[in-house]
Amino acid sequence: MTDVSIAAVGAYAPRLRIDADEIADAWGQFQASGIERKAVPEADEDALTMAVEAAERALAAAGRDGSAVTHLALGTTTPPMAEEDLTARLASMLGAPEDVTTRTVTGSTRASAQALDAALDAGPWGDEVALVIASDCPRGEPDSERGHAAGAGAAAFVLEADGPGTIVDRASHVEPYPGTRFRTTGDDETTGLGVTQYDRDAFTTTLGGATSDLEEPLDVDAAAVQSPDGKLPYRATDALGVSVTEISAAETVSTLGDTGAASVFLSAATAFEEGAERLLIAAYGSGAGANALLIDGAVPVATSLEGDTDLSYAEYLRRRGEITSDEPEGGGAYVSVPSWQRTISQRHRLVAGRCPNCNGLNFPPDGACYDCNEVPDEYETVELSGTGTVEAVTQIEQGGAPPEFVEQQSKSGAFVSAVVAFDGPDGEQTVSAPTQVLIGGDEVVDVGDDVETTIRRIYTQEDVIRYGFKAQLTGAKR
Amino acid sequence: MRDAYVIGAGQTPFGTMPDESYRSLFSAALETAVDSVPYGLERDDIDEAVIGSLGVGGRQLGLSGPAATEHAGLHGIPSSRIENACAASGYSVRQAVQAVKSGMADVALAGGVEIMTDMSSDVTKYWLGVSGETEWERLTGTTFAGVYAQMASTYLDQYEATQEHLSMVAVKNHENGAKNPKAHLGFECSLDDAVGAPTVADPLNLYHCCPTSDGAAAVLIASEDVVDEYTDDPIRVAGVGAASERVGLFQRDDYTGIASSKKAGEQAYDEAGITPDDVDFAEIHDCFAIAELLAYEDLGFCERGEAHQLLEDGVTELDGELPVNASGGLKSKGHPIGATGAGQVAEAFKQLSGKAGDRQIDDPQYGLTHNVGGSGGAAVVHVLEREVAQ
Repeated sequence: MTDVSIAAVGAYAPRLRIDADEIADAWGQFQASGIERKAVPEADEDALTMAVEAAERALAAAGRDGSAVTHLALGTTTPPMAEEDLTARLASMLGAPEDVTTRTVTGSTRASAQALDAALDAGPWGDEVALVIASDCPRGEPDSERGHAAGAGAAAFVLEADGPGTIVDRASHVEPYPGTRFRTTGDDETTGLGVTQYDRDAFTTTLGGATSDLEEPLDVDAAAVQSPDGKLPYRATDALGVSVTEISAAETVSTLGDTGAASVFLSAATAFEEGAERLLIAAYGSGAGANALLIDGAVPVATSLEGDTDLSYAEYLRRRGEITSDEPEGGGAYVSVPSWQRTISQRHRLVAGRCPNCNGLNFPPDGACYDCNEVPDEYETVELSGTGTVEAVTQIEQGGAPPEFVEQQSKSGAFVSAVVAFDGPDGEQTVSAPTQVLIGGDEVVDVGDDVETTIRRIYTQEDVIRYGFKAQLTGAKR
Repeated sequence: MRDAYVIGAGQTPFGTMPDESYRSLFSAALETAVDSVPYGLERDDIDEAVIGSLGVGGRQLGLSGPAATEHAGLHGIPSSRIENACAASGYSVRQAVQAVKSGMADVALAGGVEIMTDMSSDVTKYWLGVSGETEWERLTGTTFAGVYAQMASTYLDQYEATQEHLSMVAVKNHENGAKNPKAHLGFECSLDDAVGAPTVADPLNLYHCCPTSDGAAAVLIASEDVVDEYTDDPIRVAGVGAASERVGLFQRDDYTGIASSKKAGEQAYDEAGITPDDVDFAEIHDCFAIAELLAYEDLGFCERGEAHQLLEDGVTELDGELPVNASGGLKSKGHPIGATGAGQVAEAFKQLSGKAGDRQIDDPQYGLTHNVGGSGGAAVVHVLEREVAQ
């Protein structure tokens, strides 16, 4: 088998939710069976930012940090860019070393299972770890079954040599079944021909093919089965050799929706959190293919899967950009991509600088020191933890955003902009930086509030997405 | 160094002027300034021109100084544009004073011009807030109102002032502006109007924010060697102060004051040999209501945290002990970015010359102008003095 095992799992879903009833009210019916609510990405979230959220939780549950990651893989059907290696930015955001091996797997909902399978073959890595992240936010036509089902979420596995979760067995299976679920080049909405029995056959045949190749007895507490809706996985019980109870013990589709390539990872996280000690992962990808993995052991988990902000259907359409405007044309202020790139370690990891002359903390560490006005040859690099206190704050009301933020405001409404005094590593000195503060539910941000950072989209210009830190109230991180 | 005097100054109306170009507005302002010189002035007498402008909208970004002066018939003289955001023409006045004091010019023109209201709403969005710190402040989504709102959040948290005191600034300045025929928003507003306005960037509402305006202003500075040729009532530039501060709010030690204003004020008082108590009136940079409160403190009109008391006691009203923004200020008179600083000096010149009409302050001797760029990245203060016969 493999000498690699699972150290920990982390999972994340956006805090925004929409009820199936809201969609049913708008359209007269809700077409996705077995989904009661689903997660909706905020305007500044995408597969990359959710991947970071999940990865940080998984690393924390494993008691490791990004510097230990030597193999980094991302599985998603919705990479924010169709061409461009996202793992370079992912590694930077997580603080992984620059010689990390990276993989992006995409193309079907079993992309993350394929990434996991490949990672298991690549290790072990001595004291270092692999991180395999599944992150997805599929879209469909607003009036389609896939559109109604489309949810969002991410989960990550930390792999190491002697982790608590042993990979007992694994298998994969492919058979050509075109047309069950696909997205044409250049389109961002997934569709399918909707040939009901054909779709079910593709699903059960490939999943059955993979599990039947497992030599070890299943005997599982839970089964994490691919869930494009809340009904299809249960049609595969016979083919998989598991019961309805075992599938429902791990299901997330009823509350998160169709999470695409993150589906089985999210289910695995949920099952481990519920105490499962033997788990089947059964991933399906249209085309069609399936991966089956049998895991034994109690795996540490850190998840943030509950929602806390309900959307109306109109708000949901705004978040998805169905009815909103883009960045306006104009001139004026402009930060080129090369100059943005030079600040990426600040944007991604809050890398500050300590002045060699006076010890003062500077952010960004560039130019004359804020404290002593000397221009040092080089600042000593200091990474901030991301916790801090709001010093000054305002809410930029609708219509008032700078052009770079018009699209965000059109989608999400007023946003909070603050100056935060970030805690220095010595616990005494702070250094201030401007940042948006994420708000959900009825949260209000005041001077003196404690915050911590996370990664979000900042803005997109000339089609290049600029990612960076934003703050959220401590405790809101869920 | 020899003394410098304001011998004439004027401005166009501030407001929305779709029929004007930046050049025609500048010419009109120059004409009002020339007309205000008691014994008259030939344009050939002007040795140098410095024009303040941010260049909102692009227009003539390069060589806009010569482009403006050539249109106004000042052909061939050294002419340059100075950019210091909203403090552009406060700095052009300072530059003209330097030229005169140094002996390089006997008569120098300090002007300012901006056109802000003829652009599409998309282009306007790009040009507003270009003087905030761009890479970090603006690119967290912070607008210009947002930065001042952040200062207000800290100030209101730290001191006794309330949002209502911010609204009192609007009421006062509109009351004054209603008496100024050149004001952009020359109408009175009630405290209820000012309190109940829609929020722009909490805690600032619409009445806590100045408008964007078109306009131009011009100030003529002459040396002590030639001043008698132009006037018997010279207004002396008694003190000049200027300073810079970190452009981004987050880079500063204090958010409840503007260090550059404080330094510029101290320099100007020092050179003029006066204290804040000697100031008879002030034109203050109230781009946002909180800015006027901060300026009361930065300029030494009261202690830190006590600005609201001046408003409550009516000290800074037109008939108060220290009238502030008799012209209406940026809030009511308007704020054509590059023209604002020179416009303040034009108002001070009018007041000290006794020609301010319905808003005339009783027999002032010292007037102060305070012009700020961005959220305090640049500040310039002038103390003007009506010389009283010995």
